[in-house]
Amino acid sequence: MSRLRSKGISDSTMALLGKMGIEFDTLGAEEGCCGSVLLRTGQTGAASRVAEETVRRIASRGFGEVITACPGCYRTMSSEYPQIVGDIPFRVRHISQFLMEKEGLLRGRLGTVNARVSYHDPCHLGRHMGVYEEPRQLIRLIPGVELLEMKYNRSRALCCGSGGGVRSAFPELSREVARSVVADNLPGEADLLVTACPFCNFNIKEACPKSLRVLDLPELLLSAWRG
Amino acid sequence: MENAEKDWIVRKREELKSWMNDDKRRTGLSRAISAYTSAKERALSRLPELEELRKEVRGIKERSIREIDALVKVTIDSVREVRGEAYLARSAAEAKEIVSELTGSGKLVVKSKSLTGEEIGINEVLEENSNRVYETDLGEFIIQLRGEKPTHIINPSVHVPREEVAKTFSKLLGKGVSPEIPELVGVAREYLRDKFCNADIGITGANVVAANTGTIFLVENEGNARFVSNAPPKHICLTGIEKIVPTLQDAFKVLQVLPPYATGVFMSAYVSLITGPSKTADIEKTIVYGAHGPKELHLILLDNGRTRMAEDSVFVEALYCIRCGGCMYECPIYRVLGGSFGNNYFGGIGLIWSAFTTGEEGVAVAVDACTKCGRCKEVCPLGIDTPRMVERLKETLVKRGFLTPRHEEIKRNILEKGNPFGEDEARRD
Repeated sequence: MSRLRSKGISDSTMALLGKMGIEFDTLGAEEGCCGSVLLRTGQTGAASRVAEETVRRIASRGFGEVITACPGCYRTMSSEYPQIVGDIPFRVRHISQFLMEKEGLLRGRLGTVNARVSYHDPCHLGRHMGVYEEPRQLIRLIPGVELLEMKYNRSRALCCGSGGGVRSAFPELSREVARSVVADNLPGEADLLVTACPFCNFNIKEACPKSLRVLDLPELLLSAWRG
Repeated sequence: MENAEKDWIVRKREELKSWMNDDKRRTGLSRAISAYTSAKERALSRLPELEELRKEVRGIKERSIREIDALVKVTIDSVREVRGEAYLARSAAEAKEIVSELTGSGKLVVKSKSLTGEEIGINEVLEENSNRVYETDLGEFIIQLRGEKPTHIINPSVHVPREEVAKTFSKLLGKGVSPEIPELVGVAREYLRDKFCNADIGITGANVVAANTGTIFLVENEGNARFVSNAPPKHICLTGIEKIVPTLQDAFKVLQVLPPYATGVFMSAYVSLITGPSKTADIEKTIVYGAHGPKELHLILLDNGRTRMAEDSVFVEALYCIRCGGCMYECPIYRVLGGSFGNNYFGGIGLIWSAFTTGEEGVAVAVDACTKCGRCKEVCPLGIDTPRMVERLKETLVKRGFLTPRHEEIKRNILEKGNPFGEDEARRD
């Protein structure tokens, strides 16, 4: 998803990791969809095949840890793959968890961004995996940023409407939900909406007027990078 | 088959769109959602004991559903012991037959709100038999007059804003009614008053049933269910078998959790406990049935797919639902799709209920509108894992041939090209 529809997210993630001096690699052209959407749309047989193949590819390259920029991949690989293929020989984390662990590499290297930022909790990352604080902590690392909570946040956050195969089945519904969520939930004073999920990012951007600034977490951090 | 199915998808998509683009309905929904959420938050902060109580209720429901067959028997015996009559209806058809026999024709029937009644199409069968039927719950009354179907289990006319209600009532009375909410409530009160007193039969649902005493719990704020169950000489109560709990004590626990989550009140204005028909022994200690209340009480316990639900390790959880309807107000999809998101039962858990009681086909398209975001599980007093059930329902539907063409295309793309979009990827570094 991210690589093909929200390329800014995967590019920024890699660029940020590079600037932080993290040693990493990707599967390149070998990298495929994790199969999350197949699990959500009742196609469990195909999902199992994708899970097995993905685990095999990652394991064969000897990676000990996988970082995803997408909460859907994170949830699917870390909590659902083990139910499908048994123990997996690598650790899976969302980029926000990894970056918070390495916050020492970010602290003092981010320049001032004078913005009132609101953070949208992605369902896969928040409610399904319980990761609420890391993205907020990362946003607060940027000098000058004021974090304004959405009216409903964390476990009560409102879904953007694009997950679970809904966007492919009813794109107009996904857009309408995104509009209603932003209209009811985003504090009026916020001048930047930060997501941590390529699905939320793409859907909210597409549904809402261009005047709404939307950035994904690694994009925000990269834009603040001063070195 | 494939074409017919596609037509059907197109039709449902049109229905969803009509809801999305209907500003009146959206206004009604959004006013109700904001009133509900603030009332509930206030109620929950005033009743901290609910945190423990709702866990207890979860345990009570788990045990009750495990022993559902036995509890049905106990309930029937208990009701008969107090001179009521009780029936187990295996299907909607059986329930309709029992209702038809009990009501006959040419009767004046008053009803209080019952989704279980909607489930079996009770109004249709009563009217086919030439009975006059009046819904007495204000919301139900409004949509009955408008010839619509309920769109929320607790607030069936949630999608109708006051201006629209005024139009409907003006038509009923043949004179202008102003869109002031108190005035609108007054219209219903005046209009229905003599219907209660003159009705031959009152039909209610039940919120909880205590098996060992055969006690029916009716929980409401308007006072109409109390009227319906008390004024006419015959009371028919139709309810699902999942409403049964073993004892009165268990039932009181369910009762305490329901109102704050359903409407944001600490306790509903009226709770009626009905154990058998009305009786008196004041003259010579001789028991006579039908003093001021009904002479006859008939409890119809409806299965209609519930046993099949109970037998499934995943879907069994849907039977724990106490029908507060809170998850619907909290659902980001329901706030946009309203009554088109489901089929008689609404929202994520409504998809499961609809599938088992009225057939999977009826939700084959609506199920694709659920993002499985999990907000319903988060706000559910019993923590029911609806997203998991919806995923499982979708899986079942796919196995039965209801695979959404666009989802199938995504599968093909993923299996062949490694991505959902079917794009060829340039090799990256």
